Amino acid sequence: MLRFILRRSGSALILMVVVSFVAFMLIFAAGDPAVKLAGEAGSSADAARIRALYGFDKPIPVQFFHWIAAAVRGNFGHSLYFDQPVASILFDRLGVTLLLGLTSFIFALVLAFPLGIAAARWQNTWIDRTALVIAVVGQAMPTFWFALLLVILFSVTFPILPTSGSETWQHFVMPSIVLGYFAAPAIMRLTRSGMITALETDYIRTARAMGIAPRNVLLKYALRNALIPVVSVSAAQLGYMLAGSVVVESVFAINGAGRLAWESILRSDLPTVQALVLCFSLVYVILTFLADILNAWLDPRMRLADARTD
Amino acid sequence: MLLDVQQLSVDIPTAQGVLHAVQGISFSVDNGETLCIVGESGCGKSLTALALMNLLPRRAIRTAGRLAFSGTELQALSAAAMNKLRGENMAMIFQEPMTSLNPVFTIGDQMTDVLRQHRRVSQREARERAIYLLTRVGIGKAETRLGQYPHQLSGGLRQRVMIAMALMCDPKLIIADEPTTALDVTVQAELLRLLLSLQEEFGMGLLLITHDLGIVSRMADNVAVMYAGQIVESGPVISIFENPLHPYTQGLMACLPTPERKRMQHLRAIPGTVPALVGQLSGCRFRGRCPYAQPICAEDVALRPYAHDHAYRCVLPPDISLANAAVTLETNP
Repeated sequence: MLRFILRRSGSALILMVVVSFVAFMLIFAAGDPAVKLAGEAGSSADAARIRALYGFDKPIPVQFFHWIAAAVRGNFGHSLYFDQPVASILFDRLGVTLLLGLTSFIFALVLAFPLGIAAARWQNTWIDRTALVIAVVGQAMPTFWFALLLVILFSVTFPILPTSGSETWQHFVMPSIVLGYFAAPAIMRLTRSGMITALETDYIRTARAMGIAPRNVLLKYALRNALIPVVSVSAAQLGYMLAGSVVVESVFAINGAGRLAWESILRSDLPTVQALVLCFSLVYVILTFLADILNAWLDPRMRLADARTD
Repeated sequence: MLLDVQQLSVDIPTAQGVLHAVQGISFSVDNGETLCIVGESGCGKSLTALALMNLLPRRAIRTAGRLAFSGTELQALSAAAMNKLRGENMAMIFQEPMTSLNPVFTIGDQMTDVLRQHRRVSQREARERAIYLLTRVGIGKAETRLGQYPHQLSGGLRQRVMIAMALMCDPKLIIADEPTTALDVTVQAELLRLLLSLQEEFGMGLLLITHDLGIVSRMADNVAVMYAGQIVESGPVISIFENPLHPYTQGLMACLPTPERKRMQHLRAIPGTVPALVGQLSGCRFRGRCPYAQPICAEDVALRPYAHDHAYRCVLPPDISLANAAVTLETNP
C-alpha cells in the first residue's frame, strides 16, 4: 500500500508541474501581456518598459521558473486590480470556497448514498422512482433558480436563514444545499447502478447462501464493490463544486474564490486568474490522488496489480 | 429424515407464459447420505437447489407439498429464521469458483464472517476454525491464505475455500451445485475425494447436483434423474446403474465413453433437444426424443415403482424396458 501511495504521488507531482505550466502560459493567451498592461493609450515605449519591469523580455522557461519558484513560496505576484499581493486576496477567498465545497459535498453524499442504495435495494418500486425524480429534478433545475426558491422559503416566508454573506454557519446552509443537490444525482445514480450490479453477482449469492444478515450483505458485501466506481466520480464532483461555485457564490453574495475568478477574468486581472487556475488545478490533482488511494484501499486487485508491475 | 421434499415446483412467469422449470418433484436425503440429482442443462436441477435454500430469483415462484429440513417445515419459516438456517445448518457450494467469492474481502474475513454470523465466538476462535478447515481441505500455509484475496488463488483453491467456508458452522446438509464442473479433471477427482472424506468426518448429508454420470457412480448413495423439470427415474445408485429403466437414463448411460471405444469413434448422443417448458405441459416430456415412443405417451405418466425404492416414469413394463436397455447399451456404435 505504501509503495502504491509513493508511486501515485510521483505521478501526481509530474501532473502538478504540467498543470502549473499550463496555468502560467495563460498570461500569454490573450496576446502580448505587456501591450495589454500598457493599456489602449500606452505607447510602444511604455510596453517595452513594462516588459522589462515584469520580466516578459526573458525566455519563457526562465519566466516560468521564476513564477513557480515564487508561487511555491506563496507569492503569486501583484494583482492588477486590487493593488495588493494576489496571495493575500486569494487565501481568504479560497478558504471560504473550500469550506462551502466541503459542506456541499457532505450534503451531496448524505443525500446520494442512502437514496442510491435504497433505490437499488427496492429496484422498480415507488422508492426507486422517487429517487429518480429527486435525481432528475436536481440535475435539471437551474442552480440560481433553486437558490432563489430557497431564499424565498427560508429567508422571506420563514425568516430563519440569512440571505447573503459568509460570516456564520447559518450562511452556509442554503448555499451548501443548492450546490450539493446539484452534485448529488450523478453520485446517486452511479451508486444505484453499482449496487444493482453488485447485488446480482455470484459472491452476493454466496453471502446469502452462508446466511450473512441481509443488512451486512447490502451495506458491507455489496456496497464496498459498488463504491469503487463512485469514488472517482465523487472526487470529480467535489472538484467541480470547488471550482464551479461561481453561480452559488454570486446569488448568496459569498466572497469566495469562484466569484473572485469570475470577476478577475472580467477585469483582465491576469496574475489573479493565473493563481486561481493553479490552485483549482492543484485541488483537482490532489482529489484525484486521494480518490486513487481510496480506491486502492477499497479494491485489493488495484493495489496488488500496481505492485506487480514493479 | 434430514431433508424431505414433496411435490416441489418452481414456476417462472415470462413474457411467453409461465415457465414450469420444476414440476412437482419429490426426494429425500438422510444424514450422512449422498443424493445425486443428475440431468442435462436446463432440466431444473440448479433451480431445485436454489429453491431449497430459498435463494431463487425474485420472479420465480416456489410451491411445495412439504419442504422439511430436520423435521422443520421450511415454507413456514420467517425470512430471518431461514437466514439463520442457511450457512449454519444447510450450506451451499456453487459451480463458479472464480466469481463466487467476494473480490474485495480477504479469504479470512469472508470465512470468519460466516461463523460469527451464526455463533457467538471471538475473532480469534473464528480464525482458528478457518485455519483448521483450510488445512483440512488441503490448503497449505493456511494462515497466509487467510490474509489473501480471491484473485490471488487458482480456481481449484477457491473451490476448496468455498468448501471450507461452507463447513464453518458444521452444517448438517451441504448442497453442491456442479462443484467441480469448472475445474481441471485432476482437481475434480481430488475435490470429490475430499468431499467424500469430509462427509465421513462430519456425517453430513450431501445433495450433489451434476450432469456427469461418472461423478454419480463415484459419489452417490441414491440417484434422481431429472428431465425437463421432472424426476424420470430415482433409486439406489447400484440399482439405477444395473437396471436403468427409463429410456432417458438408458440414453445417458449409452452416451458414457467406454474404454473399448476406438479412437476417433463418435461418442453417442441423444438426438433432439429438451422441450420448451412454457405453458400447459402434458404427456411424457421425453417422448419427442424417445426411440420407443407410442401414442399412449401423449398422456401423463406417473412414477411407477420397480423395486427397493427404485421408480421410473415410463409406460413400458420393466422387463421390456430392461430388454431395451440391453439393446441401447450394446449397440453403442
